[in-house]
Amino acid sequence: MHIPDGILPVSVALSGYAAAGGMTWLSLNRINKKFKNPRELIPRASLLTAAFFVASLIHIPVPPTSVHLILSGLMGVILGWFAFPAILVGLFFQAVMFQHGGLTTMGINACLMGIPALLAGALFRTRRYFNAESKVTNGLLAFLGSFLAMGLGALTAALLLIYTIPAKLDVAAERAAIITLAGAHLPVALLEGVFTALVVLFLLRVKPELLEMEEK
Amino acid sequence: MIASYSTAIPESNLLSRWEVRHKLVGLLALIFSFSFIRELWLLPLVILVSVVIYRMSQLSLAYYWSRIRLPGLFLLMLALMLPFGAGSTVLARVGPLALKLEGSLSVLLIAVKFLCIFSLVLVLFAGTPLQKMVGALRSLGLPALLAEMLIFTNRYIYQLLTDLRQTQVAAGLRGFKGRSVKALKPLAYIVGTLLVRSHNQSERVFQAMTLRGYGEESLVLRAEQVRTFDRLALVATLLLAAGLVFLQFFFFPTS
Amino acid sequence: MSSVLSVMDLAYGYPGQAAVLKAISFKVRRGERVGLIGPNGAGKTTLFLLICGIVSAESGNIEISGCPVVKGRFNPTVGMVFQHTADQLICPTVREDIAFGPQNMNLPVAEVAGNVDRAAGATGITPLLDRVPHQLSSGEQRLVALAGVLAMQPELMILDEPTADLDMRYRRRLVGMLKGMDQKTMLTASHDLEFILEVCTRVIVLDQGVIQADGEPAKVMANRCLMEEHGLELPHSLTAAWHRHGTETDCS
Repeated sequence: MHIPDGILPVSVALSGYAAAGGMTWLSLNRINKKFKNPRELIPRASLLTAAFFVASLIHIPVPPTSVHLILSGLMGVILGWFAFPAILVGLFFQAVMFQHGGLTTMGINACLMGIPALLAGALFRTRRYFNAESKVTNGLLAFLGSFLAMGLGALTAALLLIYTIPAKLDVAAERAAIITLAGAHLPVALLEGVFTALVVLFLLRVKPELLEMEEK
Repeated sequence: MIASYSTAIPESNLLSRWEVRHKLVGLLALIFSFSFIRELWLLPLVILVSVVIYRMSQLSLAYYWSRIRLPGLFLLMLALMLPFGAGSTVLARVGPLALKLEGSLSVLLIAVKFLCIFSLVLVLFAGTPLQKMVGALRSLGLPALLAEMLIFTNRYIYQLLTDLRQTQVAAGLRGFKGRSVKALKPLAYIVGTLLVRSHNQSERVFQAMTLRGYGEESLVLRAEQVRTFDRLALVATLLLAAGLVFLQFFFFPTS
Repeated sequence: MSSVLSVMDLAYGYPGQAAVLKAISFKVRRGERVGLIGPNGAGKTTLFLLICGIVSAESGNIEISGCPVVKGRFNPTVGMVFQHTADQLICPTVREDIAFGPQNMNLPVAEVAGNVDRAAGATGITPLLDRVPHQLSSGEQRLVALAGVLAMQPELMILDEPTADLDMRYRRRLVGMLKGMDQKTMLTASHDLEFILEVCTRVIVLDQGVIQADGEPAKVMANRCLMEEHGLELPHSLTAAWHRHGTETDCS
């Protein structure tokens, strides 16, 4: 669900940048309000961003093949408002290091991952209304959040791609394409959900502070 | 497979010497004008501009090929699907599938734009060290927090990558294969461990940095001297970009 | 006695660099505890990676208990404790971490539990079994990492710089424990020469990719000229012996 260069019309790409700019402004605004000295948090946010970047390179087995996870839901859970800047930074390095390109679409891609990430984080933090220490609460919220985050991102990406392709698709082909893309992403979204839940349960036992950084 | 942020273009090259802010704005304008194109007749022009700039950069074709392989897969998928799915004019029939004109043409359009934009992205990154790139972005309005995150993240990605590989080797020596569904839980542990380790390290990094005065000075940005050449090159690329947009807009307004 | 490890004409070099190992040959017999010493960059860690089958040799071969080492194939007969324990400990509890290897060997559940208990007992960390490895002290982490390898009951155990991050107390504990494992075959690299002297039954000096000396630790390591020539020094406890021999000669 990484939209490459050259497919989307310029208007969509530029709107993506505008939206990403707005989201960045909102995130930084929230960060500045929330923390007295946000610069103190930069080393932590950056190291975790690097860790997420590296983690997304791990091959996750889905026999007979393997996939890479995006972990945007997990980023929302751990980084809170820092998730959006972190995703932008991650996309930048993806463009640079793999030279995926994706420069014109960086804005739209940041929104496709970042907004669902923030939602997944917010959903996870509703755990304070339940039993915040229980494994079931944490696991379930983490699963739901990242499953929905991945699903939402992939679905939006699919719709964007289908409706902006230069040639007109007929209705049947359109429906087939949407079903194919959605169907292909359903297992991946499930995997993201399960994996995120497993990591969150690990952190709950090993280093619960990592799940509480946004709650202070 | 990961390529480090390297500057493959020689320092003496014209594109390396082009002041980064001007280069960034100029090449980005061109990249966006490429993605604005919807008319097939303009594609040769797009290709010509890309080829000329890529040749000027002294980057080799082998370099292009080594970088395009991965992102090219997406293109390949599209090229296999779209010609059969989109459009109404049937060109040929391959078994139950019908190869359609409109779909094929849109693949052509997308592919050329993709490949040409890719060549400019390579030129942009391969001729600019990260520190300078971030400095330029900062002076073009990138928030300080993002700029610092870029520098910091870059510093630790390689170290964490080494840590991760080492952990995977250690797990492998204890019989972990990571090829079946059962591997999901240990992999989640490995990712969790990576997060915990980087969090712990960030605390040490922060303490060490505070001792050396972090929090006082901001990212030092030295403005580079802007020469006439930098401005001329910028004007030239902006005119090119505007020209492409103009051609698309005024001569083919309907396409 | 049969040899557990046999290295023959082993050579290795990283691409574009001078050879790290040049035609190394040695055998390790069952029950031997071999110390590997030499300056940084002598090729110790590379040798370990080769023995574990993480990288493959340019030429020569390695056999463990008569079976050739194949790159990338899981081989539970050799276990390695990494220099940085953080690279090795990944599970949320000590118990799970020690069980990680035996589980991957597909041992029956009861046997896994038995191995975990024995390994924890041998390393004296039974009280830590339900703790989180990441929250332990570096000394405790070292013991957990060791137990994780012991639980797989390897025929050959490799320890890379086992005392690097230990305080005196944990160092003594480790020394006592390793000396007590009479029947274990061990290969350990360390800059802690006193540790080698105390624990090992044999020492190999590796420098510039070549075995420079091989023999009884008290003899090899008492040779001041040899030691200094290879960037090492006389262990403190041997300087007295050196003085007694009255060989206060110039090495040059």
